[in-house]
Amino acid sequence: MIHAQNLRKQFGDVVAVEDVSFSAPDGAVTGLLGPNGAGKTTSLRIVYGLLKPGGGKVEIDGIDVAQRPMAAQARIGVLPDISGLYPRLTAREHIRYYGNLHGLQGAELESRIDKWVEILSLQEIIERRVAGFSHGERTKVALARALVHNPQNILLDEPTNGLDVMSTRAVRELIRHLRAEGRCVVFSSHIMQEVSALCDRIVVIAHGRVVAEGAADDLLALTGKTSLEDAFVALAGPHGEAA
Amino acid sequence: MNPILTVARKEWTDAFRDRRALWALFIGSLFGPFMIGFMFSQIASQQKGAQEIKVPVVGREYAPVLVKWLTQQSGVEIVDGPADPESAVRDRKADFVLVIDKEFAENFRDSRPAHVDVVSDVTSQSTRSKVSRLNSLLNAFSSETGSLRLMARGVSPVVVNVLKIEQIEVATAQQRAAMIFNFIPMFLVLALFTGGMAIASDSTAGERERGSLEPLLIIPIPRWRLVAGKWLAASGAALLSMGLTLTVTLIVLSRLALEELGIRNHVGLSQILLILAAVVPMGLVSPALQMFVSCFAKTFKEAQNYLGMLVLLPTLPGVITVMYPLTNRPWMHPIPVLGQYAMVTEILGGKVPSPLALIAATFVAVLIAGGLLILATRLFSSEKIIFGR
Repeated sequence: MIHAQNLRKQFGDVVAVEDVSFSAPDGAVTGLLGPNGAGKTTSLRIVYGLLKPGGGKVEIDGIDVAQRPMAAQARIGVLPDISGLYPRLTAREHIRYYGNLHGLQGAELESRIDKWVEILSLQEIIERRVAGFSHGERTKVALARALVHNPQNILLDEPTNGLDVMSTRAVRELIRHLRAEGRCVVFSSHIMQEVSALCDRIVVIAHGRVVAEGAADDLLALTGKTSLEDAFVALAGPHGEAA
Repeated sequence: MNPILTVARKEWTDAFRDRRALWALFIGSLFGPFMIGFMFSQIASQQKGAQEIKVPVVGREYAPVLVKWLTQQSGVEIVDGPADPESAVRDRKADFVLVIDKEFAENFRDSRPAHVDVVSDVTSQSTRSKVSRLNSLLNAFSSETGSLRLMARGVSPVVVNVLKIEQIEVATAQQRAAMIFNFIPMFLVLALFTGGMAIASDSTAGERERGSLEPLLIIPIPRWRLVAGKWLAASGAALLSMGLTLTVTLIVLSRLALEELGIRNHVGLSQILLILAAVVPMGLVSPALQMFVSCFAKTFKEAQNYLGMLVLLPTLPGVITVMYPLTNRPWMHPIPVLGQYAMVTEILGGKVPSPLALIAATFVAVLIAGGLLILATRLFSSEKIIFGR
């Protein structure tokens, strides 16, 4: 469960996030929807504790991120905007490295790795070095690496960005699987269809502010539009560039 | 497993799969020792050629004065010449032959030019320095005798000396050889810089460039442990490279006949341990410095450029001490790089650095390495460094 309250972040004179609040409950998928540059990535970085907010606070399972960042980070799995891999390590070594760093080892760790290999269909590439992997394969490895410690809360920053159809489907299935396990999933996207297909709750962010929050029907009702796309354009304002 | 070790092990695995970097490291470690071996053998061969010459003389009975004078010169041995000097030299049975004319004694007595032949083969490279030594000996005999003759006639011998040429070579062969010892600490410190370079830059700037830093930093581990793990891996590689350089240098030194150059090879087990005690602390500093500098670079390439310049740093005191042999002073010992030079040259010269010097150098190195790692940890936590592109 994630609560973000009145987050604010400024870089020099530029206000990246002005006022972002949202709640993401367990057993549900919460989508952060907004055009590029709306402040989604910055908000997520504040949530996972790599950026210090200029104002506001974040609680993960009741733990204040600013006060106990490591306790909060132990309860989250993150796929950041850019998730680089080490070209000379194999897929399994990537997942094992993160598992080790989370304090896992031995047979327990290997069986967890095998579980993710199964879920993400990594069988054929698991022992190969990642240099030369396709974008989809890299994303899957990065996902397995981010989830190896079985976090209750999962933050995915544009996980399907640039993926082909098959990989996109695999990521969507993974998100549904995580929801079914009762986890709290937050993912950001600028793609309308992506959000409407997966999310129980939608948080629309534009110009560093939350402009609307609720289920898809709520957003339609709020804007008086008949299609989500029209609703989104209406909410994100004239500068919205999402489709 | 301790996260520091987990990080170190990952960086090692990663680095040792980079074949090209590995080869560069290996060849880099061997370059110094072979340079040292080459320089020593150069001096040794020059030395040998000039010092000892065997002069085969045909007709030594005709010029007892000359032969006696020659025997008195250092490193000259007179032997009987072959029956046919020219064919002996042509067939390379003799390097050269000195042939004394039958009328030598008569001409010499009457102060007329006395005839001697130096039979040599100009195409034979190896005998050239010996022939020139013989020629200069004969010239010396000629001018000495000439001076005596002028004096006997009441003329100052100075009038015939239009030029007074003196070759001033201040360095004896022994000094030149000892100077090569100064290169040993330089190559050891250099190995410490080149050895850790790949890991230090790849695990910082490279990690940032690949975008693998952000997910790594979300793992709940204190930042200093990540930095320490990376430093441990880089330091290990630096020390490995230094160890390789030292080992090969010692092998090269043991193969060289240093005694012939008038140098005693003092290196035994206790000297090796002393050298390690003097140099290893520097292996803690160099990767820390490289990591700190790499944190400012946005890409692996950029970091390598900075570190390339940094490598010049340890050669600086080396170059200075080679050109202006600095006298080792106690204040040098705790100063990184300079201290290693001072202590290693002392140890190779057969002295034992004071325990205080070793302790002070180690203390200062640990302090500097620790300080740099704290700064690197700060940089690793800075939002600008993590996300700045």
